[in-house]
Amino acid sequence: MEKILDKKQIDGWIAALTDWEIHAPVLEDGIWAYQPVSGTVRLDHPNTKQSPKEFAFPQREIFFSFEQIKGEAPRLTQVLPKTPHYAVFGVRPCDGRGVPRMDKVFTDHVEDPYYNARRKNVAYVGLACNKPPSPNCFCLSVGGSPVSTDGLDVQLTDMGDRYFVKAVTETGKTMMAAASSLFAEPSAADKKQLKQIHADAVAYPQRKINDPDGAPAKLEASFDSPLWEEMARACIGCGICTFLCPTCHCFDINDEVQNKAPLKGQRVRTWDNCQFPDFTMHSSGHNPRENTAARLRQRVNHKFQYFHKNFGMHQCTGCGRCVSECPVGIDIVTVVNKVTENAG
Amino acid sequence: MPDNIYLPQLARVASIKEEVAGERSIKTFRVEPVDGELFEHQCGQCAMLSIFGRGESMISIASSPLIREYKQFSIMRVGRVSSAFHELEVGDVVGIRGPYGNNFPIDDWRGKNLIFIGGGCGLAPIWPVITTAVAQRDNFKNITVFYGGRSPRDIMYRAELDKLRDAADVHLSVDKAEEGWDSYCGFVPANVMDKAPSPSNAIAITCGPPIMIKFVIQNLRQIGFTDEQIYTTIENKMKCGVGKCGRCNVGKDYVCVKGPVYSWAELKDLPEEY
Repeated sequence: MEKILDKKQIDGWIAALTDWEIHAPVLEDGIWAYQPVSGTVRLDHPNTKQSPKEFAFPQREIFFSFEQIKGEAPRLTQVLPKTPHYAVFGVRPCDGRGVPRMDKVFTDHVEDPYYNARRKNVAYVGLACNKPPSPNCFCLSVGGSPVSTDGLDVQLTDMGDRYFVKAVTETGKTMMAAASSLFAEPSAADKKQLKQIHADAVAYPQRKINDPDGAPAKLEASFDSPLWEEMARACIGCGICTFLCPTCHCFDINDEVQNKAPLKGQRVRTWDNCQFPDFTMHSSGHNPRENTAARLRQRVNHKFQYFHKNFGMHQCTGCGRCVSECPVGIDIVTVVNKVTENAG
Repeated sequence: MPDNIYLPQLARVASIKEEVAGERSIKTFRVEPVDGELFEHQCGQCAMLSIFGRGESMISIASSPLIREYKQFSIMRVGRVSSAFHELEVGDVVGIRGPYGNNFPIDDWRGKNLIFIGGGCGLAPIWPVITTAVAQRDNFKNITVFYGGRSPRDIMYRAELDKLRDAADVHLSVDKAEEGWDSYCGFVPANVMDKAPSPSNAIAITCGPPIMIKFVIQNLRQIGFTDEQIYTTIENKMKCGVGKCGRCNVGKDYVCVKGPVYSWAELKDLPEEY
């Protein structure tokens, strides 16, 4: 389904999505962040600071609560999330491509009931990138595109005073059908203009990973390369690279206690980070990834070797957040290029 | 697998036995289900044990799959959760979920000589294989068990090992000579070298401190064992048990799913991130 939506009508469309809670990028204190919106949506953001992964994989998730009176068996109460239907507007193609990658992690081998409960209620309304919103964009290097519809339910393309709206999934069609009178049929000129905008978008220069296809084998061969130590030297282990990443999924599980006697608390999942030393530290004190070099190597190998071997795709969508936000300038594009160029 | 992979089943501590005293003490716990039955498991698999309010820890199941009434765990006091386990009393209730990981291919080993080599707390992960092999004694040829601790007080499963002598050759050792100790004195790898078990039609299974495993494998290779004849287990920090939390990987594989059991042929080519 392909339609034209006058930009002035987008608020009307949102108003018609009564079954959905609308979230869109909002600029606050200089930071673009997804927030619940009502009434007005303006999709004029570059990209959000954080990826939209939080809709299916929030930073903190309660698994179950426990209560125990001394001498009695504990009582566990499962806390499965009951979320509204989220319609997330303005999702950039790189972040859209993060969605199927997260789906792989949380549904492969065994299903994660918390992820699934949230994921089935999220619809992603994407916004194609007419030009790269960040100087660190490299989606074209990792199998993506500024006009990719992967992971999206609807794709919007900005055509000046109107959007070209394409339903990608059945959910997308349902959303468009909720306000069908607002949408017009695209003319031949509209289609031609869309084609031109998409062609220009793909032609726009981006940063480049030189040999993405060769990366898995070359990274495997470079496990003991001295480059890891050299490139990780500045790393302060802050972990911003993974927290902002649309595909990083690592997590911790801990018990939070509100009351000791009688015991009352909950088991909670929180985002965790492969750049933290205690992420892999055994209780004996032994740490298989004991320095920043080993941890940078893990992050890069996970994205460009291990995930590729397991799922046939890179676990990086080229959003460039980890490059833009790293406080010491560690740059995954440069790292991958350097290592692959030096691989024997 | 239950619908919710993270929701533990409740289990009651049926017995607690102190194996080794001291700073890094080891206690053996037997747990029984509070309701219904516990999951079935294979030799070498692990379970996520938890004490509510303290957290979860991945522990290898030390009892044979043939035992359905309880599951046994031998836990060294090292971290937050293992220390909390050492404070438990009989009758206390813990959480258990699993089973996780792969298993020793014991059915493929019928008709073979089995040589077990354990050190310290590393007897626990191979104990289910030893006891299962002994329970199915006719399926195997010679069973030999090497096991060592730092001192006589560090030998776990002492009574069980004595009982094992009816069905297996048992070679105990301690690192340093001590009065009253009449078995081998020296490190486990040296004891293996000293007895030099034949690699003919044999499988060697080893578990213990990493440095012990390293030299055991070196010595086994020298005696003539091939990489395919040597099995070991590895451990890494784990949180989920189902290949999602991201920390226990060695290369592309998560140890909680693809491990903890590896033949040396498989393990030797993997990055040494364990």
